[in-house]
Amino acid sequence: MLVLLAVGRVPLRYNLRNLTVRWKTTLMTGLAFVLVVSLLTVMLAFVNGMYRLTEASGQPGNVVILSDGATDEIFSNLSPVDVGDIENQPGILRDGNRPLASRETYLVVTQPIVNAIPGRPKRRFLQVRGIDDVTTAARVHGLALYPGGMWFSAAGVQALPHSEQDQAEAFPHPAIQIVLGEGIARELAQDRTPQQRAAARDPQRLDVGETFKLADRVWLVVGVMQSGGSTFDSEVWARRSVVGPLFGRESYSTVVVRTANAQAARHVKNYFTTQYRKAAVQALVETEYFASLSETNWEFLVTIIFITTVMSIGGVFGVMNTMFAAISQRIKDIGVLRLLGYSRRQVLICFLLESLAIALVGGVVGCLLGTLADGWTANSVVSSGAGGGKFVVLKLSVDALILTVGMLVSLSMGLLGGLAPALSAMRLRPLEALR
Amino acid sequence: MKLLFLIVKNVGRSPLRSTLTALGVMVLVLVVTLVWSALSFLDGLTREKTKNLKAIVTERWRIPSQMPYTYVPKLAEGAARYPGDVKPQDWMAWQFYGGTLDPTKQTRNNVLFAVAMDPSKVRTMMDELDQLAPGDSAELDEAIRRMQNQRNGMILGRQRLKAVEKHLGDRMTVHSLNYKGINLEFEIVGTFPAGRYDNSAVMNAAYLNEALDAYPRKSGGRAHPMAQRSLNLVWLRVPDMEAFSRVAGQIISSPYFANPAVKCETASSGIAAFLDAFRDILWGMRWLFSPAALVTLSLVIANAISISVRERRMELAVLKVLGFRPVQVMLLVLGEALLLGTTAGFASTSLAYLVANRWMGGVPLGMFGSLYIPADALWWGPAIGAAAALAGSIAPALAARNVKVAEVFSHVA
Repeated sequence: MLVLLAVGRVPLRYNLRNLTVRWKTTLMTGLAFVLVVSLLTVMLAFVNGMYRLTEASGQPGNVVILSDGATDEIFSNLSPVDVGDIENQPGILRDGNRPLASRETYLVVTQPIVNAIPGRPKRRFLQVRGIDDVTTAARVHGLALYPGGMWFSAAGVQALPHSEQDQAEAFPHPAIQIVLGEGIARELAQDRTPQQRAAARDPQRLDVGETFKLADRVWLVVGVMQSGGSTFDSEVWARRSVVGPLFGRESYSTVVVRTANAQAARHVKNYFTTQYRKAAVQALVETEYFASLSETNWEFLVTIIFITTVMSIGGVFGVMNTMFAAISQRIKDIGVLRLLGYSRRQVLICFLLESLAIALVGGVVGCLLGTLADGWTANSVVSSGAGGGKFVVLKLSVDALILTVGMLVSLSMGLLGGLAPALSAMRLRPLEALR
Repeated sequence: MKLLFLIVKNVGRSPLRSTLTALGVMVLVLVVTLVWSALSFLDGLTREKTKNLKAIVTERWRIPSQMPYTYVPKLAEGAARYPGDVKPQDWMAWQFYGGTLDPTKQTRNNVLFAVAMDPSKVRTMMDELDQLAPGDSAELDEAIRRMQNQRNGMILGRQRLKAVEKHLGDRMTVHSLNYKGINLEFEIVGTFPAGRYDNSAVMNAAYLNEALDAYPRKSGGRAHPMAQRSLNLVWLRVPDMEAFSRVAGQIISSPYFANPAVKCETASSGIAAFLDAFRDILWGMRWLFSPAALVTLSLVIANAISISVRERRMELAVLKVLGFRPVQVMLLVLGEALLLGTTAGFASTSLAYLVANRWMGGVPLGMFGSLYIPADALWWGPAIGAAAALAGSIAPALAARNVKVAEVFSHVA
C-alpha cells in the first residue's frame, strides 16, 4: 500500500472520504474481511498448537527405540531381555552404574466415564504409560512435578485412601499410585460430581489425593506433572509392573535413552539402525519421532488452506461488487480527475487503494479477534498417519507468522477484489465519463 | 405475476453485479455444504439406531483390541448358554493383517492393511455392500467367489489398488508388520465398488489362520507371539435395542471371555468414543465455522442489494408514483435477493453433488473412507441461499419501502 501511495501520488483524502461517505457498504465489506481473517487466525492457531506440541515433546539428546516395523509405540513389542541389552549399548549416558534409559510400556485403555454428560460418549481412551523407574524417566524426559506431589513409589501401590475405605469391599486391591499430565488431570476432573468439585482443592483439575476408578481398581493421584505443551500432558504414568499385567501386556513398548547431545543421539540412532543385531529394533532421535507425528497436523493444514481459499474467493466477489458499485457511482469524479491531470495509472492506484484500505482495516480487526483464541485449549489427535497416534490436549497459539498470513490473505483479497473494478475505472475516457 | 416478471428483469439488468453476487453466494454455499455434509455424515455414524443395529465386541480395556480367535464361535452365538437366550442374526470376525510390499523402503503407498474375514460375510455384514447396483453387485460377488476358492485372494479398494501400483490379477508379497515372520503372497481377485471402501482391503481369514497354525513347524515348535491375540473385533447384527441389551449382557456375564475380558457396545457408541478425541474440532466446525460462513454469505448479499437499492432510488420512487404500494416495492427487492440466493444456492450444491459424488467418487475423509454430498444437500443449498438472502436483504428492502417520492424528486429538481 505504501509503495502504491508513493508511486501513485494519488488524492488519498478523496479516497478515504469516499469510504466514510459510503460507510454502510464499507462496513459490510470490512466485516466480511474480519470474519474470514479471524476464522483463518483461529484455525491456524490450532494447527500451530499441534506443531508446537509435537516439537516440544522431544529432547534432541534422546533416542526412542521401538521394535522393528512398529509404526507407533502402541504396536511396538520389546522383550525384557532385549531391553536389558539395548540400554547397555555404547553412547548412552550413565548415572553411576545405571544407564539413563527409561523402560516404558505405552497402553491405551478404555475408561468408562462415570457421570457422563447426556449425549456425550460413555467411554474415553486413556493413555497409560507404565514405567519401571519413574525418577529416571522424569530425568530423561525433562519433566517435573507441581509442588505438593511426589513420584509413585517402587511398589507403585498403596493402601486405599480414607475417602475410599467405605468401598474396600468392592475394591479389595490396594490403590494404584499415578502421576498425571496436567491436560488429562483437567479432562478427568470433568467426571467429578458437583459435590466433589466443590470439595476439591483445585476445581479445574484432579489433584494429589484424588482418585478415579478403572479396571476394578482405585487409581490414586500422587502427583501432577508440569507437562504443558508436550504429549505427556495427556498421559497417566504408573508403575509398569502394576499396570502391564493388569491390562495383559507384559512386554515393553519403548526404551528412551539419553545421550550427551543431539550429535551423539544421531550416532546412537545410526548404531541401532545399522550395527545392532541382537534384536530387531528401530531407533529414532526423539525430536524426529515426534516430528513424524505431524502427519495429522499437515492434513489439518491442507484442509484449512482449502477452506480459507474457498471462503476468500467468496469474499473477493463481495469486494468486487462493492468496488464496481463505487466506480459506477463516481464515473463523473473519474472524468474530473482525468481532466485535472491524473493519469490512468493514478486512477487505477486510487481505486486499488480503496479496496486495500478496507482489507487493511478488516485484516487488522480480524487478526485482533483471532488473537483472542491464543491460549485456548483443545483436544485433538497427533499421528504419523500409519495407524496409532496420541490423544492430546493442546494450546492454540497465535504468533507473528499467523498474523502475517492473516494480513496477507486479507490484502490479497482486497487486491484481487479491487483489481478488476480499478482496471475498468482506469479505462474510462474523461469526456465519456463526464457526458 | 407482474411483480415476478419485474423481479426477473431486474436481476438480469446488471449481469455483472448479479453474476458477482451469485458467484459469491455459490462459493460460500459450497463451503457450508461441505462442512454440513461432513457433520451430517459423522452424526449419522454416531446416531443410535433402534432397529437392525450392529454391535461390536472388543477387548474390554486395551486398544488395540487383541483377543484369541477361539472366542469367535461363542461370540457368533452371542454367548447364548441357556434356552431363551438371544442369538445374533448374523456376525463377522475381523483380524487386521498389515505389512509392506517393500521391506527395504517402507512408504505410505506400499503399506497395506487388510481385514482378514470370512468372505461370505462381505455382502451380508459390511455397511452398504448389501445394497449395490446390479453391475457392482455381480462384480463383487464374483470377486468373493474367487476369494472363497482361492485362499490367497484379496479384494482391494480402487484407490488402494492405485496406490500400490497393482492391477487386477497381479500377485504381490506382503511383508507383515504386525505378524512378524508371516509374509504372505496374495493375488488381487477383485475390487470394491467405488466409494466407501476405496482405501480398504479384505483377505480370507482362513489364509492368515493357516499361516499362524503353520508357524510353529518353521520355528522350532514356538507359537507365533500373536497366535493367541489375532482376533481384533467381532461384529454382531441384532434386530433391536432390546436384543442388543440381552446379547451384550450374555457376553459380558459369560465366564468364557475372562482373559482378556471383553466389552460389547453398539457400533455408533464405539465410533462416538473414538470421535470424542476430535470433539473440539467438530465443535469449531459446527459453531464457529458454519455460522461465520453464513454471516459472510449474508453480508455479500446485503452489500449487493443495498447498493442496488441506493442506485435505484429514483426508479423506486417512479414505481410508487405509478401506483406500486410500499409493500410491493419491498417484495420486489426481497424477491430479487431471494431469486439470486436460491438459484445460486441450488447451482452450488448441484455442482458440488455432481463433482464430489460423480466426478471425484467421494471426497476422501481419512479412515472413514469417502464423503459423499447427501441428496438432502440439494434442498439445503437453495434453503441456505434463500435464508442468507432474506437476512441480508431485509434492511435494504425496508429502505426501499420507505423511499419518499417527494424527497427523491426534490433532489432531481
